[in-house]
Amino acid sequence: MMDEARLSAILSRYDGEPYDLIPVLQDIQDQYNYLPKDELHEVAVRLKVPLTQVYSVATFYKMFSLIPKGKHQLKICLGTTCHLKGGQRLVASVCNRLGVEVGYTTKDRQFSVETVGCLGTCAQAPVMMVDDKYYARVTVDKVSKILKLYA
Amino acid sequence: MVNLTIDGRAIQAKKGQTILEVARDNGIYIPYLCYHKALKPIASCRICVVEVKPGPPRPQPACSTYVTEGMEVVTTSERLDVIRRELVKLVLINHALDCPICDKGGECELQNLTHALGIDRVDYEAQVLTPHIDYESSLIERHPDRCVTCGRCIRICRDRVGAMAIHFMNRGYYTELGSGVLPLDCEFCGSCIEICPVGALINKVFKYQARAWELEKTETVCPFCGGGCTYQVQTRDGRILRVANQDSILLCGRGRFGFPVVHSEDRLTTPLIKENGSFRPASWGEALDLVAQRFQEIMAEAGPGAIYGVGSPRATNESNYLFQKFFREVLKTNNLDNPGRYHFVRGMAGLMAVFGVSQVDGLAAPAARVPAYHSPYEVTEGATGSGLMFVLGKLADLPQADVALVVGADVTTELPPLGWALMKARENENFQLIVANPRATKFDRYAALSLQYKPGAERLLMGGLFKAIFAAQPDIAPVINAAGLEEFKESFKKFSLKEYATKAGVDEGQLKTAAELLLKAQAPAIIFGTELLGQDKGQENATALADLFLLVGKPGNPGSGVYMAAEKANTLGLLVVGVLPDRLPGFIPIDKDPGLNLEQMLEALETGHDNAPQALYALGGDLVRWLPNRSRTEKLLKKLKFIVVQDAFLTDTAKLADVILPVAIHVEQEGTFFSSDSKLGLLRKALPENGVRPDWQIIMELANRLGGAFKYVKPAQIFQELAAQLPVCAGLAPGHCFPAPGLTAKLSGQFVPFEQDISLPGRRPYTLIVGKSLQHSGSYTTHQPCGTLMVTPGARLKMNPEDAVALNLGAGETAKIISSHGEITASVSLDADLPPGVVLLPDHFGEPAANRLTLNSNLVRVTIQKM
Ligand code: SF4
Ligand code: SF4
Ligand code: SF4
Ligand code: FES
Repeated sequence: MMDEARLSAILSRYDGEPYDLIPVLQDIQDQYNYLPKDELHEVAVRLKVPLTQVYSVATFYKMFSLIPKGKHQLKICLGTTCHLKGGQRLVASVCNRLGVEVGYTTKDRQFSVETVGCLGTCAQAPVMMVDDKYYARVTVDKVSKILKLYA
Repeated sequence: MVNLTIDGRAIQAKKGQTILEVARDNGIYIPYLCYHKALKPIASCRICVVEVKPGPPRPQPACSTYVTEGMEVVTTSERLDVIRRELVKLVLINHALDCPICDKGGECELQNLTHALGIDRVDYEAQVLTPHIDYESSLIERHPDRCVTCGRCIRICRDRVGAMAIHFMNRGYYTELGSGVLPLDCEFCGSCIEICPVGALINKVFKYQARAWELEKTETVCPFCGGGCTYQVQTRDGRILRVANQDSILLCGRGRFGFPVVHSEDRLTTPLIKENGSFRPASWGEALDLVAQRFQEIMAEAGPGAIYGVGSPRATNESNYLFQKFFREVLKTNNLDNPGRYHFVRGMAGLMAVFGVSQVDGLAAPAARVPAYHSPYEVTEGATGSGLMFVLGKLADLPQADVALVVGADVTTELPPLGWALMKARENENFQLIVANPRATKFDRYAALSLQYKPGAERLLMGGLFKAIFAAQPDIAPVINAAGLEEFKESFKKFSLKEYATKAGVDEGQLKTAAELLLKAQAPAIIFGTELLGQDKGQENATALADLFLLVGKPGNPGSGVYMAAEKANTLGLLVVGVLPDRLPGFIPIDKDPGLNLEQMLEALETGHDNAPQALYALGGDLVRWLPNRSRTEKLLKKLKFIVVQDAFLTDTAKLADVILPVAIHVEQEGTFFSSDSKLGLLRKALPENGVRPDWQIIMELANRLGGAFKYVKPAQIFQELAAQLPVCAGLAPGHCFPAPGLTAKLSGQFVPFEQDISLPGRRPYTLIVGKSLQHSGSYTTHQPCGTLMVTPGARLKMNPEDAVALNLGAGETAKIISSHGEITASVSLDADLPPGVVLLPDHFGEPAANRLTLNSNLVRVTIQKM
């Protein structure tokens, strides 16, 4: 069931015009950890944006997700430097430990794993982010320690 | 003119043309993929690249580069070849290789490109994507693995249809055409299928029916609404398999998917005679003899006026013309009318009151010989014309309007081409749309101003609009030569602007804004249709809108006009050819002994007046299904001694008949229609008749049995005779509208005050609007296997979700709807487009029969209960 009050609180901060679509979706993503279907339908009606366009935007940007994300977002860098410094091995190790594939969320909804193109700190490769925090030079043996911090 | 060379050839082109267009016009092939002539170019695929001098060193897309003086274009070179081949190879990386079972095989632009560019291998490999194939949606199948992401479908849906129902999802390599929700929820016009260069969008009705090259093609006219779309009927072995409009691509859903009704099992195939209450098949000779004999007996007893005729908006001009000629010359009575009496005729009457009947002066005598289906009158220099036909707007001009006011019409449902024209008008950035309607409709999305008035309050809304116009510009001087303005102004003394606004249920400020927009418009268009005219005061509504056009219209400017949507393919034609009790072909009034109109005829039957007819001859026109107050119609028709119905189906009226004569439908005959905007559409025969006959032949046989001497062998002869009686159609030819642009309009008008009231008697809590469904046209499309039945299989009562909660009704539950005239039950659907207190029921289906609730109007107060 859709929580009308929760969504209305978000929408009330905007003009209710089509140009509000992206900020509204960002707020929903932040608060719900994903973009639930019913909410998207309601946003389409309230902002007068065709539903297909809402979906088009929601699937275009990586910051949005149509399936529930975990409590913590793991972003592992596979940019050139990280790639050379063993980023791929880091991905395999993280996925192995969590029992999840890239792009998905663990069964307990604790972690979502994704790979990204560059986190902008190549000097510290390989890099991984958990939520808003950077972890530098993450060798495979550091993985379990980092994950434990969030368990 | 612009001079340029393409591949060394000197070419003259029009300014504003693109290289691709010029090349195509001159027979020079430039490959392309994302371009389509029906759309604006977006230059995304880059396959059309050409070398241009003077210009940048890199190749330029031909589809979006405009020609300039002295330009040198090279369309083939080593470099261009490499680029094009690379691009197509990239497209092919992840393209499904299922050509053998793909419906597009043989007419696929990607196949053709690959072939033309000689690509025999794709040297790339990439992640294989799992496509989300949509088998679930109605009528349309989507195969993203065949998509070349040209965006044509998205653009036609967004920019031409205005539905915005599909879009790209994801991005980059993962881009996939999607709709957000499944199954697809859209207008089902199928235009996206038709414009797709590949087999990514598949027409489910056509799927696996034939290969493209096996089809025979015939250009003809769609038989459904008054839009007058021409389309190509594609047949094999005597069956239509597909229809297509290869020009603008656009057709509506009923046009594109409705054709299977032609092959319905329900079609009548042989004449039927009723004996002891049930029908038995009869030969044509027997049936026609019986009709002639009964007509003779009845006339001998009660005079020729005892036979009443009803013409058909589905029948051709030729058949309807012959029908009125049969009544007037053979039976010798003017007792005939047409079903448009309850809407379109009211509209024409309103326009006529203000602008007068159309007349043309200064033409030479008709030519003796002209090509088939051409007017014998030539538009000579100095010929002038006047009257209502000169204010009726042409769809092709509407995109040039700068302000359009839509009143009481759900545009796309009433006449899809009106919607397409409005979408085109929107490309002009100065264009402003005003939508006035008691409920929210599709075009509110595109409107600068939406006026949601109370149902039935359109004349108060119009009163307020006039008031606001006169307040903003007290000394307004109409462009059209107009009489009676001062008295007309007086008729708005009764209320203040505020009172008008309150009574109509709109905002005072909105009326002022609307007035401002209309006053500053250079080419204002006024749009309305059957829903507005179907009210008992439909004629008054039309008068009010005609007055408005007289006041602010600028008919000299292209696009400025009155656009009145006609419900069916030949609704206008019926009037032009004189299927009216008081007018001959060409609107010529009958002063001596006009006949009864349909309403008067029913009244005469009801009161048992001695001028009441005793027999009915109906050319289609299912009166029981269409006339308001169904039980009254049934009761009155049963009073008749003899009924002949000429129809393709066993309609509710046909069931009451004594003799039924089965007719050919559009693709089985030749003839013409007049569309809503008076375009002459030419029907061509694509299928054999299989035992049924075209209306005109039946009428002729009957006339000749009753002393007539009709000797037509083909409809073109009838047209020739008819056209000689229509000077107003001077210069007419298939595909053209009348009056011809060469005729100088000498317009004048008379302001006619209109009644300013709401005509919705009774105290019941809800207002029911009897409306139309986008997927249906009359009852014609309700026969299986019509494709649109997959989308809209029946009629539902649409209501606001709040009303539903108050009535404790959920979607799909059954409601009882009660009016002072009857009661019916209908299943409910929730629709926030309807304001609380207003419900809508489309009237195409036999059940629920909305017309059991109405009396002379398509608006009625009702009580609703949960069953
Ligand atoms: S069928 Fe028509 S409305 Fe539906 S997606 Fe295709 S173009 Fe758009
Ligand atoms: S579905 Fe067809 S028209 Fe639409 S983007 Fe793909 S290839 Fe182009
Ligand atoms: S029903 Fe009307 S709009 Fe649709 S295809 Fe036929 S003529 Fe055109
Ligand atoms: S056709 Fe010109 S860029 Fe696609």
